Amino acid sequence: MSEMNNGHERWSEELAAYMLGALEPAELAAFEQHLEDCDRCRAEARWLAPALQAVPESVERVELPAGLRTRLMAEVQAEAEHHVGGARSGGGWRRRLGDLWRGEGRRGLRPAIGLAALALVVAAIAGYVVGNGGSTSPNGGGQLTVESGHAPGVVATMVREGQGGSLHLRNVRPIPDGRVLEAWVQRGDKVTPVRALFVPDREGRATTTVANMDGVETVMVTVEPAGGTEAPTSAPIVTMPIPG
Amino acid sequence: MVKREKAERLADEELMPLIAAKDPEAFEVFFDRHGGAAYSLAYRIVGERTGAEDVVQEAFISIWRSGARFDRARGSVRAWTLSIVRNRAIDVLRSRAGKAPKLTFDDELALEQRPSDDSTEDEAMRHETAGEVRGALGTLPGDQAKVIELAYFGGFSHSEIAGMLGVPLGTVKGRMRLGLEKIRGELAEGLA
Repeated sequence: MSEMNNGHERWSEELAAYMLGALEPAELAAFEQHLEDCDRCRAEARWLAPALQAVPESVERVELPAGLRTRLMAEVQAEAEHHVGGARSGGGWRRRLGDLWRGEGRRGLRPAIGLAALALVVAAIAGYVVGNGGSTSPNGGGQLTVESGHAPGVVATMVREGQGGSLHLRNVRPIPDGRVLEAWVQRGDKVTPVRALFVPDREGRATTTVANMDGVETVMVTVEPAGGTEAPTSAPIVTMPIPG
Repeated sequence: MVKREKAERLADEELMPLIAAKDPEAFEVFFDRHGGAAYSLAYRIVGERTGAEDVVQEAFISIWRSGARFDRARGSVRAWTLSIVRNRAIDVLRSRAGKAPKLTFDDELALEQRPSDDSTEDEAMRHETAGEVRGALGTLPGDQAKVIELAYFGGFSHSEIAGMLGVPLGTVKGRMRLGLEKIRGELAEGLA
């Protein structure tokens, strides 16, 4: 259908509501029908998709409950063993789970429900890893040594996803109450905060997302007051040079 | 089965085929990357810890069981994952409210999603996090941020939001659009 006579302007008003999941069911079906035929609406949706992705990333991070990961992986491992017909020994994972698993008790799982993705953006993936190894990643990206500031032992991994990337920390020591981790990106002389604050879990892992890695020369992480700050107030626990 | 160390060096999109092949090490890495954001999002929406745990556990199990359904042409793995968590959390909200969210809902309460029967510990944690939705939404004018939060975190339709706020439907649509465009503009400028 021609873009000139398909009512694009009227439908375009519905696009943001569509992306936010705010159309009524009847409107949704009609809009999706239009979307199939309208290159302009699809292009606008692709352009706005990173904004939609930034919405959940803006949520203040809270610590994962201690038992959630254990329960989930126990379920996954059990299904994986079933998948290979019991050929694989399950003792290793069961042993790793140990008393923690038995002490928590099992909570029932409801059946999985398939759900559609909202995001429409096409993400070209280029992965690279920054760790302690100092060797070349088998994944084709650079593997560099993390320069830890006041927190030696912290391992940082940056996984690129399209324009942005996710920053994963390990071996982070507990931070004081009322404090959060805040990531920063440096471009030239300019240092700006990453939007999503985060905190380490009980096992010392912490993750945040950098929405735009274009031109970033260094990623840093500092410990800041809850709510974050607009400029770093402490020495970085991680300083990660990003390959250009 | 891929070793954990090797899996950690793979991009998300490279993990998904392994997860589809039922590789638990790949899935573990996937969860470690996104579980925290997923739980934070679920907690923000459902407003209490147990419900958020259920949402995350069910969402990730659904991904484990259907990992092969990921289509990279439709977005990043993280966006896909969080959309699954968000939709499931909204389902929980709606099931609690009955057939649909209450139209007379106080929008301030909707934004905070305060639990009715939370423990003191939960309440304390919420006080630390409520109202600290910063970043992308924090840069928006209040009226734009409000409609986006009511839609995304509250699961309300634009018509319901118009009724709650007492503004014309077109105004809600416009604020949603302007809000997303402003966030997108800031991302394009590299300020995020």
